[in-house]
Amino acid sequence: MTRRERALTTAHRGTIITGIALLGLVGVYVRALMFTPMERSQGLAQKIFYVHAPVAWAALLAFGITGLLSLLYLMLRDRKLDLIAAASAEVGVAFAVVMLTTGPLWGKPVWGTWWTWDARLTSTLFTFLLFVGYLVLRGALTDFEVRGRFSAVLGVMALVLVPFIHVTVYWFRTLHPDPVVMKPEAPSLPSVMLVTLLTSMAVCTLLYVGFIMQRYALAVLRDVREEEAAGGLS
Amino acid sequence: MDSPDNGAYMVAAYIVTAVVVLGYAVMLYLRIRKEKRRNT
Amino acid sequence: MPRSTTASVAFAVAAKDLKVELRTKTAFVSSLVFAVLVLAVLYFARDKTTVGDFDLAPGALWVTFTFAGMLGLNRAFLLERENRALDGLRLTPASATGIFLGKVMGNLVFLGVVELVSLPLFILFYDVPIWSQLPILVAVIAMATVGFVAVGTLLSAMVVRTRFSEVMLPVLLLPFLVPPIVSAVQLTWRILALRPLSELTGWLSLLGSFDIIFFTLSLMLFEAILVE
Repeated sequence: MTRRERALTTAHRGTIITGIALLGLVGVYVRALMFTPMERSQGLAQKIFYVHAPVAWAALLAFGITGLLSLLYLMLRDRKLDLIAAASAEVGVAFAVVMLTTGPLWGKPVWGTWWTWDARLTSTLFTFLLFVGYLVLRGALTDFEVRGRFSAVLGVMALVLVPFIHVTVYWFRTLHPDPVVMKPEAPSLPSVMLVTLLTSMAVCTLLYVGFIMQRYALAVLRDVREEEAAGGLS
Repeated sequence: MDSPDNGAYMVAAYIVTAVVVLGYAVMLYLRIRKEKRRNT
Repeated sequence: MPRSTTASVAFAVAAKDLKVELRTKTAFVSSLVFAVLVLAVLYFARDKTTVGDFDLAPGALWVTFTFAGMLGLNRAFLLERENRALDGLRLTPASATGIFLGKVMGNLVFLGVVELVSLPLFILFYDVPIWSQLPILVAVIAMATVGFVAVGTLLSAMVVRTRFSEVMLPVLLLPFLVPPIVSAVQLTWRILALRPLSELTGWLSLLGSFDIIFFTLSLMLFEAILVE
């Protein structure tokens, strides 16, 4: 099979997986909205948790994978690793957008404020900014070899930076306690809610897999086309 | 104790999620289809 | 021709950069002007009865240093790009390590001079005990500057290849500034407020470990930026 044919197969399989995941998401919506009981003290807004937490998980998974694949790329210089890392970054940014919008929508009714600069929120915001920067950098570099190397360098730096940001803000926070009381994660969810959450997590993970397969296939197809246009064979 | 009346936030969040997720899925699908056509 | 050692390469690169900067002085002057601007604006903008010197001084100091630093960082590589000198650098048997260390040294000297000149200006504007705390303050400034310059040198080397490098550098660099600059500001205000050493150790260890880890990482990754 040629590279193009392999990419088309991946795209096809990815599309199917995404499709199944989207159906699963509909199922999660139905279950969360109609068949999961409301949490008394927080009200209906608590149900945002069932989309916010899984999406946040998917975003952080995506960025972690980008970081690790960046490191592998620098060691092995396999083009595939670069393309998957980039695909993961873009998918991660998509999930992060959902995370950063649903977060404040949950925070406002439950904690009284749209945003606080606590460790977790700040870390996720900066992680998002790092990966937007990663994509902007890629967009600004035309030579694919340079682009691969430079993005990988940024990816590795970002991977090491995130824990530092978390610790920095955490220390800043504990020494400057915020008047707003931070609500901890629900300690023990009743099983009905837990099942909804876990189902949603599984669906989001599947969605991530489908998206990344599609995005990677897209990158390969573009790659093949550009190479043929340039007159060379890979 | 009465629960707070904040259903609007929930609706907004669920809509935003659906729009972004579906939007991205559709965008990926269309971009792939465009690439497929370009080279046949 | 004698084999180039890493150290000789580093000093040669740093000397070249500084010689060029000495001739034109543009980046240096802009950084200083910026420092005075920040001081003046903040001075006129605040209400002295509600915002104390101790509240404002640390932030003002580090805003100045950070922006001056970015001006300096960009110029270091812009110079090379304009003269296609980077290609020339790469052709030498000089190791990437030498080039990186040279660039870092040049940037450190540049930024060091800007900081040295700005610091007395602060004493004019803010009534804080800079002189009595000078040794520890200088140590903190040096540590934060090293971390900032190491990462900034690596990123500016990447960014110089893009079309909008002046904009891209701050965009990419910003998240990397959170640990060192937040630590530096926290340490600066505690130092100026004459707090005991025990209150400084936590932030000092954070700043120190950031420096060590990111200097090493930037050094190791720099080769991937240069080598074709």
